Amino acid sequence: MKKFMLSCLAIIISLIAGALILWLMDKDPIAAYMNLLQGSGLMQKVKYAGRQNMFTDFMSFIDAMTPMIFASLSVAIALRGGFFNIGVSGQMMIAGFIAHMLSLIVPSRILVIVVGVIAGALVGALIGWMRYRFNVNEVVSSIMLNSTIMYLVTFCINTFYVNPVSRQSKSIIESARLTISGFRWENLKLDIALAFPLAIITAMFLQWLIERTTYGYEMKAVGLSPKAAYYAGMNVNQISFITMTISGALAGLAGVSYFCGYYASIQPGTTPSMGFDAIAVSLLGGNNPIGCIFASFLITIISKGSVYMSSRQNIEPEIASLITAFILTFAACSAFLSRKGRK
Amino acid sequence: MTDMIIIDGLSFALPLFIMAVGGIYSEKSGITNLALEGFQGFGAFTGSVAVVYLTGIFGSTSSVPYYAGFIFAVIGGGLFALIHALLCIKFKADQVISGVVMNILAMAMTSFLTKSINASFFGNSANKFMLGASARITFPYLSDIPLAGAIFRDIYPFEILIVILAVIMWYVLYKTKFGMRLRACGDNPHSVDAAGVNVYAVRTMAVFISGCLSGIAGMSFAYSISANFSPDIYLGYGYLSIAALIFGNWSILPSLAACLIFGFARSGGSAVINELGLPSSYNDLVRILPYVLTMLLLVFFSRHNHSPRALGQIYDKGQR
Repeated sequence: MKKFMLSCLAIIISLIAGALILWLMDKDPIAAYMNLLQGSGLMQKVKYAGRQNMFTDFMSFIDAMTPMIFASLSVAIALRGGFFNIGVSGQMMIAGFIAHMLSLIVPSRILVIVVGVIAGALVGALIGWMRYRFNVNEVVSSIMLNSTIMYLVTFCINTFYVNPVSRQSKSIIESARLTISGFRWENLKLDIALAFPLAIITAMFLQWLIERTTYGYEMKAVGLSPKAAYYAGMNVNQISFITMTISGALAGLAGVSYFCGYYASIQPGTTPSMGFDAIAVSLLGGNNPIGCIFASFLITIISKGSVYMSSRQNIEPEIASLITAFILTFAACSAFLSRKGRK
Repeated sequence: MTDMIIIDGLSFALPLFIMAVGGIYSEKSGITNLALEGFQGFGAFTGSVAVVYLTGIFGSTSSVPYYAGFIFAVIGGGLFALIHALLCIKFKADQVISGVVMNILAMAMTSFLTKSINASFFGNSANKFMLGASARITFPYLSDIPLAGAIFRDIYPFEILIVILAVIMWYVLYKTKFGMRLRACGDNPHSVDAAGVNVYAVRTMAVFISGCLSGIAGMSFAYSISANFSPDIYLGYGYLSIAALIFGNWSILPSLAACLIFGFARSGGSAVINELGLPSSYNDLVRILPYVLTMLLLVFFSRHNHSPRALGQIYDKGQR
């Protein structure tokens, strides 16, 4: 409950800071924040294009939120187990790319998901293995892997998988894409995120895993104090290896639902910023799987709604990432606030 | 060709090196610094704003904006670093998390401000400040030496600045009282406290210095590799210099060696690709080299590495 209050505090302070910036730029903060909700399909817009209404906006909001849930779960589970997985971006990218490649041979949605899980898990396992076998700090190794994967995938896309018009990778075939785009229902065109139920189920499963199983207990123990866990007779290396593998697998799921779902193609030359935003989301959600769902909901409102807000209010869309960064900064200070409270 | 490799390699390695020196200052004082990436970007941003503004006053032929740019980059990087110091020291945030947060904050702030400044002062909607590449200097006589002469040919003025600064920073860290206290803060802050020195002040100073030096590095990258300031400056150079300092076992000279390896791996690879006549997309393959190299070397050398003992620990006066 306390964590929840702290997260709320971080959000409120950040929103006030954001409002202050908007106000300094001669914009109406309240109208701008309402635009965020409208852009996310949570409030009625003034007018809609053909075949669209609030519900279609909401469905595409869900579509954007799905990879964010997976990514934040990946960060959260790693943090619980004493790892800082800053490599979510790279793991997402490699999983998305390999899934793209295999869908050329076998176009199947199930396969895309399975491949994503395996690819992400392997990268996560590599990081975990290097940490316990060679004492390589996981932060450094995952940063190195991020860049390696980014350049490798960029090279592969630019040499043989590029769409010459959009300068992006070719699009994944519709029958393997995890989002059904433009689905006709009544007279609406909907984007349906097929992976969304999986995201919710995964979050619940992880909650059960952490709170109700032996492994979850050991994982938390290792995360809190590896030494104490070792003296209690736990196999610290094995447990942290498994934790990192699970975290990688979740990042892989985020990757496929992002690159083979929300987007149908991969942008070369850059890592998805979602991998870093997920750190904010996870901290905001108190590193709790269920908390991650709510935090993803909130951050996605800001990132998704900012497109509509910037067009309505004539503000740079970068304001969204600025507000997210503020939330992150204040969330990082929450340890200080909670310590204050305890005294 | 070897000339090109040396010239390009040095102009990439030296900014990386001065950033790594900053990182060493911070980490030797006990503050984990993953925020170098953000510091260099923010420094480059403030420097670029100053350059664009002053070029409007002094004209494009003057060299005042160039040097003022570096001064403002130092100030900007240092001030931004104080936020990291505030979070880590005063608010007792987790230092790794705070470092990553700083990078995200720097990136969000600079790209937002770049666009806003361009829109409101210069009337365009670009997300970058054009700087143009820096002029180059060639030393007479020295540059005529075969092979090694390339070191003195076509160098950027900032490379000289960096070498001078690095020598000063080395002296301060290893030969002065302040340097000794700083290193002690990273190993045993309580003994420093017992000697009557304010641990918080020393650490804040160290983080501030690392921000200043990173600012120089960022400005150098903006003036050489990209010839502009844009969000592209966040390509992971900061992380690369962290890798260099970890390799260099947290001391200055070995870190220089690591940076030179990175620089020459990069320029050498590009030269080979050029020579073979491969398309430019193959450059991306070459860019992988330093990162893979880092990982392999870390795998072999991490066991012998000794980070400062109190690195990453929050110093609490009341705790013994």
